[in-house]
Amino acid sequence: MSSASSEVRRARPLLGTFVEIGARGLAHDRLHGAIDRAFAAIERVHRLMSFHDPASDVSRLNRLAARRAVAVHPWTSEVLRQAQHFAAISDGDFDISVAPLLQKWGYLPREKNRPLPRRISDYRKIELLDRDRVRFHDSCVSIDLGGIAKGFAVDQAVRILEAENVVAGLVNAGGDLRALGSCAVEIRNPALGGPSPAKLALENDALATSAHYFARKRWRGRNVTPLVSPRDRAACFRYASVSVRAPSCLHADALAKIAMLRGPRAFPLLEKFAAHALLVTSAGEVVCSPGWHEKTRN
Amino acid sequence: MLTNDRLHWLTPAALVMLSATPGYAVEYLSIEQAQRLCFPKADQFAASHIQFTPAQIKAIEAASGQKVLVRGEQVWKATQGGRLQGFFIVDYVIGKHLAIDYAVALSPDGAVRQIEILQYRESYGGEIRNADWRKQFAGKTARSPLALNSDIRNISGATLSCRHVTEGVKRVLATYELCLK
Repeated sequence: MSSASSEVRRARPLLGTFVEIGARGLAHDRLHGAIDRAFAAIERVHRLMSFHDPASDVSRLNRLAARRAVAVHPWTSEVLRQAQHFAAISDGDFDISVAPLLQKWGYLPREKNRPLPRRISDYRKIELLDRDRVRFHDSCVSIDLGGIAKGFAVDQAVRILEAENVVAGLVNAGGDLRALGSCAVEIRNPALGGPSPAKLALENDALATSAHYFARKRWRGRNVTPLVSPRDRAACFRYASVSVRAPSCLHADALAKIAMLRGPRAFPLLEKFAAHALLVTSAGEVVCSPGWHEKTRN
Repeated sequence: MLTNDRLHWLTPAALVMLSATPGYAVEYLSIEQAQRLCFPKADQFAASHIQFTPAQIKAIEAASGQKVLVRGEQVWKATQGGRLQGFFIVDYVIGKHLAIDYAVALSPDGAVRQIEILQYRESYGGEIRNADWRKQFAGKTARSPLALNSDIRNISGATLSCRHVTEGVKRVLATYELCLK
């Protein structure tokens, strides 16, 4: 967004990151009202899907769903349905049941009186029932929606800005962003401070970047990151940064995780979602999917 | 004595280093703007800043599990026609290296009504580790901008975790319990 006279930009700590909402094209007070309501939607996603909050749907599922069917909010149900779909089409490269590994590495909190599961289960043990109910068929299942809920939240917030008649806007949840109208964005160079590997104009579509330059750390002599391969339980370091451009932010968010694992082998899958990717290898080399340049030239 | 003089001389040199450090900063809201957003009905914001006693610092640290960085808190009482609407508190935390300023609006009974980031700053300089050196940049407002790249840009990439702000809010709530209630 350009710095037009009536432009408002605000940020709140939500979903474990700084969520920024910018809007323009209306009087100041109406922009603030629209942004308030867009934040309210993101706060709702945060309350429902936070791993940290014991009262969230996610925490209730992790505590109870191995014993009985648990009813969740329709939004949680929708995110779970999408997550399971991405798990199925990626053969488990996208899997929300890796939470215990992230707990072990200190990226997610551990409950005091609850030991970590003995092993990591997988998405096939999660069953979505009718009437927004969920059942886990393995006591070791523990889910985290960190790889997909931000994208969903961004989509919801953009929908609200649109309904409030905001002319142009941007919602950015820690690098998962979506534009309303047209908006210039840039991808951060994983070598922090270096020039952007790509500047592009979004047009009512989304861009999600997964990278570990702020989150990687040492754990018992190993390098770890929250971006983990569900199959071999290893942290992914082949790509320093993966960006996916797609019509919806939820799709971009989930597909970025799959592209982080698969690299260019993920490109055919991305095409099915009209999505394009730009990968930066750990050596700093840039790899783009065939449609990326065509799309970004517009 | 010599050591003290040295420190005096060293500070400006450190400042020059900062301006050469690539980074990113955004000012979202001024204190006044955030006050109006958090308490749109209030007709007065009376500053009632707190100075902590050493005993209070200990109590806040014990109650919140968070270290107290400054010996006080910037607090305003929001009132409408003399009736208390709530408290508006401006605080900061150290993100990765630099301070992030934020405001917390509390209802009269101490519940969090709203949190707004006032100013976000990020440095890429991994060399900035000295806590005292960092502290001097805390609490800066738009009138004292840092020499960072402050163009408004939209960046897709990993961002800092907001864990520090979440922890800071715990400390603010402990401050309310001990000093404002």
